[in-house]
Amino acid sequence: MNAVLEVEGLKKSFGNLEALKGISFNVQKGEIFALIGPNGAGKTTALRIVATLLSPSGGRVSFLGFDLKKEPEKFRQRISYLPEEAGAYKNLKGIDYLKFMANFYSNSEKETEEFIGRARNIADLGTRLNEKAGTYSKGMTRKLLLARALMTRPDLAILDEPTSGLDVINALEVREIVKRFSREGISVLLSSHNMLEIEFLSDRVGLIDKGRILDSGTSGELKQKYQAKNLEEVFRSALP
Amino acid sequence: MKKFMNLLGKEMKELITLQLFISLLFTIFLFYFIGQMLKSEVKKAMRVQKIAVLNLDESPFSEQLIGALQGANFRVEMAKDKNKEKAIEWAKGTDVNLLLVIPEGFGQSVESLEFKEVESYSFLRSFSLVGSRSTAILNSVISAINNYLSNDFLKKKIPDISPERMKKPIGSKDFVIVKNRMAEGSAERVAGFVSGQSVFLPIILMMIIIYASQLVISAIAMEKQNKTLETLLTVPISRTSIVSAKMVASGVVGLISAVIYMFGYRFAFGGLMGRGFAQATTSGLSNVVQKLGLAMTTSNYIILGVSLFLAILCALAMATILGVLAEDFRSAQSLIMPLIFLVMIPYFLSFFSDPQTISLPARILVWAIPFSHPFLTTQNLFLENYREVFGGILYMLVFFIVLIVIAARIFSTDRVLTMKLKFRRKKVVF
Repeated sequence: MNAVLEVEGLKKSFGNLEALKGISFNVQKGEIFALIGPNGAGKTTALRIVATLLSPSGGRVSFLGFDLKKEPEKFRQRISYLPEEAGAYKNLKGIDYLKFMANFYSNSEKETEEFIGRARNIADLGTRLNEKAGTYSKGMTRKLLLARALMTRPDLAILDEPTSGLDVINALEVREIVKRFSREGISVLLSSHNMLEIEFLSDRVGLIDKGRILDSGTSGELKQKYQAKNLEEVFRSALP
Repeated sequence: MKKFMNLLGKEMKELITLQLFISLLFTIFLFYFIGQMLKSEVKKAMRVQKIAVLNLDESPFSEQLIGALQGANFRVEMAKDKNKEKAIEWAKGTDVNLLLVIPEGFGQSVESLEFKEVESYSFLRSFSLVGSRSTAILNSVISAINNYLSNDFLKKKIPDISPERMKKPIGSKDFVIVKNRMAEGSAERVAGFVSGQSVFLPIILMMIIIYASQLVISAIAMEKQNKTLETLLTVPISRTSIVSAKMVASGVVGLISAVIYMFGYRFAFGGLMGRGFAQATTSGLSNVVQKLGLAMTTSNYIILGVSLFLAILCALAMATILGVLAEDFRSAQSLIMPLIFLVMIPYFLSFFSDPQTISLPARILVWAIPFSHPFLTTQNLFLENYREVFGGILYMLVFFIVLIVIAARIFSTDRVLTMKLKFRRKKVVF
C-alpha cells in the first residue's frame, strides 16, 4: 500500500477538554477516506490538525514523508482544505477569488490559467463567475469553494462536510466531482455525519466518537463485521 | 514577494469598496459645504457693518465721533426720533446689530472732562462667533478716540512730556529665549504662532491611527465572520505575510482617507486660520520665529515623519492583536475603543497641558503610550530635547517589534482561531 497521509496516536486538548484521545488512520493515494461520527466526535478537529490549522497535543502526523510539526509549510503546498461553512470574499468576483487562490500555488501565468480553467469546469457557474461572490447562493458558493480546493490538483484534499447545507441536486453534483477527482489520483480525507453520502463516496471509513476511532474499514467490511444493512446500523452497533 | 503582493492586492480590493468612495465623497461634499458657509459668514462680518446712532448731543465733537465710525467701515443710520426707547424700538425693526446713543451734552463733557458715557445696545440676533463683531469694532473705535483725546488733553496741560510716556511710565521691551537663541518679541505671540502652525498635526495623526486601526480590526473580524480565515491560513504563505498584508493595506487606505479628510478640513477651516498666518508674516513675527529656530527644517520634517510612521505601525500592530479577539464585525467595533482612548489621552494633553510639568506617574503613563511621542516631537525638536525625540522613536520601534512578534505568534498558533473576548464574561478564553 502507498499511504499519502499517516496519523498515529493523534491527541488534541482544549484546556481540560480532550477532543482527540489518540486516533490513528491513514489515507492511501487516490483513496477517499471518511471520518464519520456525531457532532462533537472530533472529526473537524482531526481535519483541522491535518490542514495545519491546529497543532496536535500529542501523536504524529506525516504527509508524503513530511512531519506536520516540523514542516507544516510542506503540507500547505500540497494539500487543500475546504472547511465546513466556509465562505468566499464577498467583494471579489468569483473569477478573481479563484485567481487570487491560484496565485499562491502556481509558478507561472500559464499555470494560473490552467488552474482557473479547471476551476471553471468544476464550478460550472458560467458567466456568474464574473459577479461578486457576495451575490452567490449557498450552493454556488460551495461549488466555487470546491473548485478552489480541487483546481490545483492537490495530493490531499481535506473536505469537511463537503455537502453541508446543500440541496439534493447540488449535493449530488459535489459528490460526483469529488469521486471523479479521486479516480484521477487525488487522495481525499473527508468528514460527514451523512452516512448515505459516506457509503456512496468513500473507499474506507473511520467511525469516530468522543475523540476515539471505534473501528475502520471499507463499508462492505464493516457491514459484514457488524451484520448491518447500512453504515448507520454499523455505527450504532460499534458504539460501546 | 509575488505571493505577498497577491495577498496585498486582495486586501486592497476588500478595503477599497463603493461604500468607502461614497463615504469619502460625502466627507468632501460636507467639508465643501461647511467651507462655503464659513466663508460667507466671514465675508458678512468683514463687509461694511451697519450701525444705528441716536445723537442727542449734536455738538461738533459728536459729529467727529460719527465721522470716525464711518471711517472705521461702519454705515451709520441716524435715528430720527430723539427718544431713546423709541430709537431702540426702531432699531429692533431694522437689520442693524448695534445702536449707539450719544447723550446730550457729550461734546461739552469731553471738553470739561466730566466723562459722560455713550451707551451701546447690541441686538444679539445669532450666537455665531462673527455675530458680535460690530460691538468689538465699536469698542476699538471708542478706545482709539479715547487714546487720541487723552493724548490731546495731556499735551495741552503738560506740553513738555510725551503723553504716551505719561500714561505708561514703565515701558517694556520683550525678549524670548529658546535654549541659546534670543529674539525680541512677545512670548505669548510666539507660542501662539508655533502651536497654530502645528495645529493640524495631532488631528491628522489621530484620524490616521483611528481609521487605519479600525480597518485592520474589521478586516480580521470579517475574515472570521465570513469564514475565509481558515482557508487563508492553509494556503502556502507565511503567517507573518498574512498579518503584514493586512497592516500595509489598512495603513495605505487609512493614509489616503486621512489625507482626503485633511484637505477637506483645511478647505473648510483654512480660511479662518490662514488669516492668523498672514498676520504673523506681515507683523514680522515669522522673523522672530526664524531667529528662535522655531521653524520646521527638512531634517525636522524627516524626524517627525519617522515618528508618525512608527506610531501608525504601533497602532496597526495593536489593532491586529485586538482583531484576533473579535468574533465578528460587531465585536470588532467595540474592540477599537481601548485604542481610541490611548490616542485621545495624548491628543487632549497636547492641547491643554504641558507634559513636562505634570506629575511623575502621569508623565510615565503618557510616555508609555506610544502615540504620545509624535504629538510631542515638534515641541521637543524646537526645544532641542533630542533625548526625548530619539528615545521616543526607539521606544516605539521596540514596542512595534514586540507587538508584531506577538501578532505573528498568535497567527502561527491555534489561538488565531480559538482566542476570543467574551464580552458577557469579560475574560479572554482559549
